[in-house]
Amino acid sequence: MRATFYEEISRNKRNSLILAILVSFVLFAISYVFLLFFGYSLFIIVLIIEVVYIYVTYTKGDQIVLKSVNAQPADDVKNRFLVDTVEGLAIAAGVPKPKIYIMESPEINAFATGKDPKHASVCVTTGALENLKRDELEGVIAHEMSHVQNYDVRFATIVAVMVGLVAIISHVIIRSFRYGNFRAKGKGGAAILVLFVIALILAIFAPLISRLVQAAVSRKRELLADSNGVKLTRYPDGLASALEKIMKKNQGKMNVSESVSHLFISDPNKSPLDRLFATHPPLEERIKILRAMG
Amino acid sequence: MVAPIIWFGIGIIVVIALVFIYYYNKIVIRAKRIDNAFSQIDVQLKKRADLVPNLVSTVKGYMKHEREIMDTITKTRAQMISGSMKDRLNANNKFTQALKSIFAIAENYPDLKASENFKLLQEQLEGIENKIAFSRQFYNDAIMDFNITVTTVPGKWFASLFGIGKKEMEYLEIEAGERKTPKVEF
Repeated sequence: MRATFYEEISRNKRNSLILAILVSFVLFAISYVFLLFFGYSLFIIVLIIEVVYIYVTYTKGDQIVLKSVNAQPADDVKNRFLVDTVEGLAIAAGVPKPKIYIMESPEINAFATGKDPKHASVCVTTGALENLKRDELEGVIAHEMSHVQNYDVRFATIVAVMVGLVAIISHVIIRSFRYGNFRAKGKGGAAILVLFVIALILAIFAPLISRLVQAAVSRKRELLADSNGVKLTRYPDGLASALEKIMKKNQGKMNVSESVSHLFISDPNKSPLDRLFATHPPLEERIKILRAMG
Repeated sequence: MVAPIIWFGIGIIVVIALVFIYYYNKIVIRAKRIDNAFSQIDVQLKKRADLVPNLVSTVKGYMKHEREIMDTITKTRAQMISGSMKDRLNANNKFTQALKSIFAIAENYPDLKASENFKLLQEQLEGIENKIAFSRQFYNDAIMDFNITVTTVPGKWFASLFGIGKKEMEYLEIEAGERKTPKVEF
C-alpha cells in the first residue's frame, strides 16, 4: 500500500507538469491566432497576460479560490473543534498543519487547495460544522488531508487554472471575431478564412473539452482520497455516514464557480448534464465502497 | 575507439552513485521520520499536561467530594511528562479515564457545564486525546515503513552496506476503541 502511495505522489507531480506544459502549448497556439489576425502588438500583450495569469494563479491559486467562495479563516477558540480535528489529521498524515477556513453555506461540503503540503488550506462549510459529528467531520477532513498529502491539490489547482483560462480566452476570441476588424486581406485570404473557422470552432469547443478533462481526472481522485482518508482515521464508517448526510441534505445549489467545483468533497453544483460533466462519482457508490471496508 | 568505452564507464559509475544516494536518502529520511513522530507524541502529552492546572482550578469548587479523582488527575499529570514513553502513555490512559468521570460529574452542575471556559477545556482535552492517538498511529506507521524498507530487497542490501539495521522499536499499541473518547452528550 505504501509504495503505491508514493507512486500516486510522483504520478500527480508528473501529471501536473504534463498538464501545465499542455496548457502553455494550447495558450501559445491561441495567442498565435491573435498574431495572424491582429498583428504583433496584440500577440505580445496576450502572451504577457497569459504568463502573468499562469504565474499568479499557480502561486496564489489557493487564495483566489478561497476568496471566490468567500472563505474566512477559522477562529482558534470559537472553532476549536474544527481546528483540533484538522491538527489531529495533519499529525496522522505527517504533513504540516494546513490553514483552516470556513465558508458560509447551509450545505455540507469541504475542499482543500494549495500547491503543495507546505502551502495548503482546508475549507469547510458552516453546514458541515453544524451537521457533522466528530467521527464524520474527521472522515471528511481526512479525505481532504489525503488530497493535500498526495499532491492532488497541486494538480487540481492547475486544472482550475486551465478551465478558467480556457473559458476566458475562448470568450475573448469569440468576442473579438464578432466586433473586431481583423486584417484578412491580400493573397492569403482563403487560408486565413480556414484558420478563422478553425479558431472559432476551437474557441467554442475548448471550454467543453476542458470541462470533460476536469470531470474525468477528478472522479478517480475522489475515490482514491476516500480510501486514503480512511487510512488516516482507520474508521471508514465516519466518512460513510458523513456522505449519507450529504446525500440527504445537500441540494447541489452552492453557487460556486464551475472551475472550482472539482475541488469539493461532494459536487457543489448539480446539473442535468451531470452524467457527462460530473466531477464526482455517485455518492451511493462511494458509500457502498466505504461500508464494505468497515 | 577508446573514448566511447570511457564514457560508458563514467555513465555506469554515475548511475551507481545515483542509486546509492537514492537509497541512502530513502533510508535516512525514514529513520528521521520515526524520531519526528516520537517527538510529536511527546509534544502532545506535554500540551495535555499543561491544560491540567487550568482544569483543576475550573472544577475545584465542584469536586470537593471527589478527592480521589482529583488526586488521580494531578498524579497522572506528573507521570505524563516524565519516564519512559510506555509509562507516560499508560498515565495518559488513566488520565483519560479520570477525565471521563469529571465530565460525567459536571453533568450535575449546570453552571459549570455552561461555562465557556469549561466547554473550551473539554474540547481541548478531547482534541489532544485524539492528537495523541494520531501521533501514535503515525509513529507506528513510521516504524513499519522503515522496517519494510530495510528488510525487503533491494533496500536490505543497501541498509547492510550503510550499516543500518532494522529498528527494534516498540510499537505503541492503540487499544481498540480507545481513540474515540465517548463525548458526554449535553
